[in-house]
Amino acid sequence: MNRFETQTGQPGIDASGLPEHLSEDEVRESAARERREKLRMFLTNWQGVTGLILVTLFFASAIFAPWIAPYDPNALDIPSRLVDPSLEHLAGTDQLGRDTFSRILYGGRVALKIAAIGVSVALVSGLILGMIAGFGPRWLDNLLLLVFDTVRAFPTIVLALATVALTGPSLELVLAIVIITSIPQYARVTRTATLSLKNTDFILAERSLGAGMPRMLWHHVMPNVIGPLMILAAMEVPVVVTVEAGLSFLGLGVLPPTASWGTILNEGYLVIRDTPWMVVAGGVPLILTTLGFTFLGEALRDIFDPRMGKGR
Amino acid sequence: MARDMTTPPETLLDIRGLSVDFRTPRGRVRALRGVSFPIRKGRIIGVVGESGSGKSTVLWSILGLLAKNAEVTDGEVLFAGRDLLHVNEPQLRALRGEDISVVFQDPMTSQIPVLTYATQMRDILYRRRGMSEEAKRRRAIDMLSRVGIPDPDRRVDQYPHHFSGGMRQRAGIAMALLTEPQLLLADEPTTALDVTMEAQIIHLLQELQREFDATVVLVSHNLGLIAELCDDVVVMYAGEVVETGDVHDIFHAPQHPYTRALLECDPARIDEVTGKLPVIPGDIPDLTRLRPGCIYAPRCQRAFPACHVEAPPDFPTGRADGVARCYLLGGQYHDPDWPPPLDRFTVERGTAPARPRIEAPSRLLEVEKLNVQFQTVGAIQARLKGITQRHVDAVLDVDLDVRHGETVGLVGESGSGKTTLGRAVVNLVPSQSGSIRFEGQEIARMPEARFKPLRRDMAMMFQDPVGSLSPRKSIRALIVEPLQIHGKTGVNLDAEAERLAAMVRLPKAFLSRYPHELSGGQARRVGVARALALNPKLIIADEPTAGLDVSVQGEILNLMADLQAEHGLSYLIITHNLPVVRHIADRLAIMYLGRIVEQGVTEEVFAAPRHPYTRALVEGVPRPDPDRRRTHVSISGEVPSLLSRPKGCDFVTRCPLATQRCRTEKPPQETADDGRQFACFHPLD
Amino acid sequence: MLAYLIKRLGLALAVICTVVLVLFSLLYLIPGDPATIALGPRATPEAIARYAERMHLDEPIWRQFLIYIGNAFTGDLGVDIFSERPVTAIILDRLGFTLALVCAAMGWAMLIGIPLGCLSAVMPNTAVDRITGVLSVSTIAIPSFLVSIWALLIFAVELRWLPAIGAGEPGETLDQLSHLVLPAFAVGLSWVGYLARMVRASMLEVMGETYIRSARAFGLRPRKVVFGYALRVAILPTITLIGMGFGGLISSTVFAEIIFARPGIGKLIFDSVMARNFPVVQGGVIVATTLYILVVLISDILIAWFDPRVRESL
Repeated sequence: MNRFETQTGQPGIDASGLPEHLSEDEVRESAARERREKLRMFLTNWQGVTGLILVTLFFASAIFAPWIAPYDPNALDIPSRLVDPSLEHLAGTDQLGRDTFSRILYGGRVALKIAAIGVSVALVSGLILGMIAGFGPRWLDNLLLLVFDTVRAFPTIVLALATVALTGPSLELVLAIVIITSIPQYARVTRTATLSLKNTDFILAERSLGAGMPRMLWHHVMPNVIGPLMILAAMEVPVVVTVEAGLSFLGLGVLPPTASWGTILNEGYLVIRDTPWMVVAGGVPLILTTLGFTFLGEALRDIFDPRMGKGR
Repeated sequence: MARDMTTPPETLLDIRGLSVDFRTPRGRVRALRGVSFPIRKGRIIGVVGESGSGKSTVLWSILGLLAKNAEVTDGEVLFAGRDLLHVNEPQLRALRGEDISVVFQDPMTSQIPVLTYATQMRDILYRRRGMSEEAKRRRAIDMLSRVGIPDPDRRVDQYPHHFSGGMRQRAGIAMALLTEPQLLLADEPTTALDVTMEAQIIHLLQELQREFDATVVLVSHNLGLIAELCDDVVVMYAGEVVETGDVHDIFHAPQHPYTRALLECDPARIDEVTGKLPVIPGDIPDLTRLRPGCIYAPRCQRAFPACHVEAPPDFPTGRADGVARCYLLGGQYHDPDWPPPLDRFTVERGTAPARPRIEAPSRLLEVEKLNVQFQTVGAIQARLKGITQRHVDAVLDVDLDVRHGETVGLVGESGSGKTTLGRAVVNLVPSQSGSIRFEGQEIARMPEARFKPLRRDMAMMFQDPVGSLSPRKSIRALIVEPLQIHGKTGVNLDAEAERLAAMVRLPKAFLSRYPHELSGGQARRVGVARALALNPKLIIADEPTAGLDVSVQGEILNLMADLQAEHGLSYLIITHNLPVVRHIADRLAIMYLGRIVEQGVTEEVFAAPRHPYTRALVEGVPRPDPDRRRTHVSISGEVPSLLSRPKGCDFVTRCPLATQRCRTEKPPQETADDGRQFACFHPLD
Repeated sequence: MLAYLIKRLGLALAVICTVVLVLFSLLYLIPGDPATIALGPRATPEAIARYAERMHLDEPIWRQFLIYIGNAFTGDLGVDIFSERPVTAIILDRLGFTLALVCAAMGWAMLIGIPLGCLSAVMPNTAVDRITGVLSVSTIAIPSFLVSIWALLIFAVELRWLPAIGAGEPGETLDQLSHLVLPAFAVGLSWVGYLARMVRASMLEVMGETYIRSARAFGLRPRKVVFGYALRVAILPTITLIGMGFGGLISSTVFAEIIFARPGIGKLIFDSVMARNFPVVQGGVIVATTLYILVVLISDILIAWFDPRVRESL
């Protein structure tokens, strides 16, 4: 009853009508004001802004790579191999003389592709599985939960190594692993949201009015779930990109000569005693991308869904 | 309670001019302004107020435990020669738990779940360096037994989740009294408890206060609690003290219009059953934008122009040291006819609609031998643990009728199954056996597809007004949703939304708001509007007044009464609030552990209960009249868990009249000549 | 408590069996002769024949699976294809290096991360809190294998402060320790941030609870309230998260071992994958899984020990 009183001194008002000083226009305006307030909060959050810039940079460089890249990423130029960064080669060249900067840009395309496909497939699958777990029978929920927790916590690399031992490396494999290991996160968030909604009075109220399952899922559960899921997606992109880079680095994913940040790192590692620049060049875009998405996701979460931050 | 009235008791704690602000995103909330009252040694002082009165803030100010965004702008709190507001933290800490202790509101959340009571109580005694561990433990055990916890040697080593709600509160009281503090602060100590447990805790507090000669500050919105326990009363409204005085004076001759109005609105004080409850119209003011003048003026029935210009000073009420802050009591605006005699109402009540008492009206809803069970363990676990009973009976063999145009009250405490029964009637919870007939048609366990059309005739209002509204839908969308679900085409949805909003007296501007922007009362109206959207015949209302202040709960109840008169609605009101249900229900059904123990015409049930539990309930409600304090409690113990239903009569573990027969046989449902139904071998006469 | 333990143990075993099952089924789901798939296109016919015999490939699949599981329980994980050494022995040789790395990484991460998280929670929105916050997010975001590579670059290759490759001379503790520093730093870095954040979030949530206010109202000393009451409750979700995140730690460890050429289990699996030495891969994966399961089990037990409500539910 006095929910607010001890915390903010702001009384839990119980009005029987609008206070005299508020008109209809003011009420409508307050909704718009809330939106503006959220935007302002975002713009003053340096993490969020930085994240947004970096993410935009990532998308732009990957999409426009064919136009921005000064060289063909696979063009060999043996005489200029392992050159330090210069005006001609902004990030130097690799052991076969290929321009590292161009390779970085094209590597971004690989990362973007994996991120886009991986995240969207995992999100949709996770959403469906999570709703099933939340609305379905208890035993199914327990079973799914067990599966989610185990898969999510499983060391990805071990799974990847074991599979590659049998199938050989490929991009599709990376994608499959990435999707399988991310689904549990989305499923869990959806499940939590669905479960808490299932028990709230308003779902019960909807049922008492006669709303059917499809209506409840679409009109009532989905809008409450989609927000946290989007934020989670933003936070998962770095994970996905990292997994791809890591597997490619080990030679288990994208294979040379395709340019990927992981393969650049792989090749750079092999010549690490000769030149540090390849390893640096391969790592910088990775860090910028992961930091960018993480900052953005954190800022969005702080603004839109502060409850989500406390323990996942 | 003989007190030495010749020498005035010394003042233990003196609050003078306390003013506290809270810095919030909405602005600076002036939560307390110039609060002053003395706390006299050996007496119990009650601080009474509704939402937003600031009563809890006063408590936390004494302890120095306000939230981080709080700022004490003025005042002193004098205790043992020091001003607690200007003392440093280590000194305050020395007082907390030793000289000043607290009993908290909700025992379920205010005790740390991972430490035993022994550990928690030992920690509280950490300042007693001379005491050995053994001595501290003995002290803890001793205190637990004093508050009425059985088997304390063993239970002191248990964790809070092993204790039931009532026992946890007793343990909380034990922890507060462990150091025999000079001052005990009690923050709504019985709000989270059932009526029958509340009665026992009140009795316990009375005894302990006598035993320890403790000084207690009791903060509550419950007038009955205040009248039962307190010697002095302080009435607060919107951050100010509006009246102080001795408890008898306050309850029998209140001077301030707010105090007077508050007492008039309490349904437990209105002896004559009335269909319409009094209400204080309006809203507490916005504490971030204070207007000049008396704080209560916008809602006061006797306000005149001067009241809006400048705040009145405190005038003595002429008795003891009481004061009241109102122009009517002195100075140039003194009105010798104020206050009017107690039988006249100062707040408006509206006219009660003529309730057509139809003779032998037809039955709208008939419930017969209904059973609802919940499964507790899965089949496999039951095998492993050797449990034979895998379910609990939440509703057991219930017979209930609701006739056209009448209001039936379904009353019970926690675990009584009343909410489950309500939900089973509207097919939200499956029943296992028994019959439910609506307008003659059997609807129990009907598949949802066939049941759906009936949902137009039976609507439900939920207990949590804001929580039962989908958070991301506008109010307009929520109100018209029932129409959309039932495919009402050819209807102008916007017009319907406005019509329904007007019907429940919700201003049109609210239609574009979202649930979290509404207050509790406003959200309840939306709930009513949704329930009415399809012109139902029966509305099941689950705790319609939960969370509402006494002075405004009448609004929603009067609205429901008006709608009933206009549309011929029937209501099934599920509640534990006896004073309210006495006024609004025609007939009453009392539930205990899933069974109906008594049923009959409301007035008759209250006047002459036949079942001992009914009597315990009726007598258990604290009466807001200090002259009618109870000297004994007619019930002990707590509601047993559904998992361990007593053999024989369900009530046998707590019944003062229990005999051997009651322990072994279940009493059958009997119907007396006057229509009263009850299930008891030794009914009261 | 005992019943709880048994349940968790049973679950753990189920997971291990599932993993083996998955590996087995992969072998059979991929079109082609299992022995050739396992050994690769360049395997000699004799090697294939030997493998087929040893793995009882003529028997029905479920029988093979059970034989393998049965053997695994007695410690027999098959033999290395090339050297004919028992896989178990090979693994045991290298297990120590992995465990040392894992413990060192976790150790320093917990030593720094947990107190930092507590400090941030107790002094929110101060400089300490804000800096910790940014650092935490950053260290979590940066991929740990990249940290390994760059640590190698900076400290071993460029500055030459620490050795780059291997685990050090056997028997020489100081040398071994110096080889442990860089990998442990790289693997532990992201965990410092992860732990600091988790502890901070849990603590903040717990500190806002009513029972903490009660403790304060009884005049308990601040240190007691924070460590004896708040941390006591906040540690529970932290332990759960450590258990859940341990898989990530193993992944980081595998990368670190490869990058620093440290002869642990991770590198063993990797080398065997490259060499198409399937029995070793299988054995290594099982051991790695068991390790991860054990940690999860320990974290569950710790929680039950700290939280009486969990102990009593089943």
